[in-house]
Amino acid sequence: MSLPLAEEETGLAPGLPLELADDRESIKITGFWMFLVTDVLIFASLFASYAVYRSRVALAPGPAQVFHYGPVLLETLLLLTSSFTVGLAIWAMRTGRTRMLFFWLAATLVLGAGFVTSEIHDFTSMVGQGLTWHQSAFLSAFYVLVGTHGAHVTFGIVWAVTLLFQVARRGITPVTARKLYTFSLYWHFLDIVWVFIFTFVYLGGKIG
Amino acid sequence: MAEPRTAPEESAREEGLAFLEPRVHAEGFPVAQVFGYAGSIILTFGSFFLVTRHLMPPVVLLAVILTLAVGQAALQLGVFMHIRESRGPAWQIVPLGLAFFIALGLIGMSVWIMMFKAGVS
Repeated sequence: MSLPLAEEETGLAPGLPLELADDRESIKITGFWMFLVTDVLIFASLFASYAVYRSRVALAPGPAQVFHYGPVLLETLLLLTSSFTVGLAIWAMRTGRTRMLFFWLAATLVLGAGFVTSEIHDFTSMVGQGLTWHQSAFLSAFYVLVGTHGAHVTFGIVWAVTLLFQVARRGITPVTARKLYTFSLYWHFLDIVWVFIFTFVYLGGKIG
Repeated sequence: MAEPRTAPEESAREEGLAFLEPRVHAEGFPVAQVFGYAGSIILTFGSFFLVTRHLMPPVVLLAVILTLAVGQAALQLGVFMHIRESRGPAWQIVPLGLAFFIALGLIGMSVWIMMFKAGVS
């Protein structure tokens, strides 16, 4: 058996960051990767249905008339920046700077909230123009795909709020470090999904 | 129990699984993050400008911006998600790769079969 086993004395492997050094926390990180694998498949299904239905516009307007690129570019910038700030939060955590970690995590939360606000505003103005998901297969697929991503981001914001409280109360421990690390994985994953939504849905809609 | 503990890197290499060798990053200044952010901005807004400039025929353009998106995903996974970080061999790489393969098949096959229908009708 050549796989490394947990240190009997401390349970912390030397030379690794806290969240990986603790054997029970590191296994949860592996488990979280498996969750992300299933989430890849959820979004793959939704992208496949969008790819199939994007030209089925029935009597409603098509992608080129429906999308507003101003809000979409703003949302993209907010989400890319929040991906950067959560990366900095993990970096601060790894270098043991609790206040800086708190700041970057809070920044991530604010940027994420800005993203969701802009998206909800965009959706409600579309619905106000009569572009509901009843209108065409294209709009159904669009709202389900982009809405599922937006719901993920909304959940991530709630998660980040709970993490802010935990960091404030407990500081950086193996448990909070693992939770922050899995949150960062989740957040970067949503950023990847958004890049594909931006490219395939919004830019693809402009190409026609 | 008496046998000395081997480092994770060695154990991964021993079994011919060099690609699963874990790597852990922790540096004084977040150089990788800053470059990763710059890269993600350039890739994303670069594809937006390619689309607004109408430099290429539609099919080529779509292929190019999807390639840029894949590059961006790889950047996020490598720089920000530390995909190779693990306590032992980085096993998450295997199911994740499989999931991307299935995703590609799911989307590609769906598009392909619907193109066939459009072609005959």
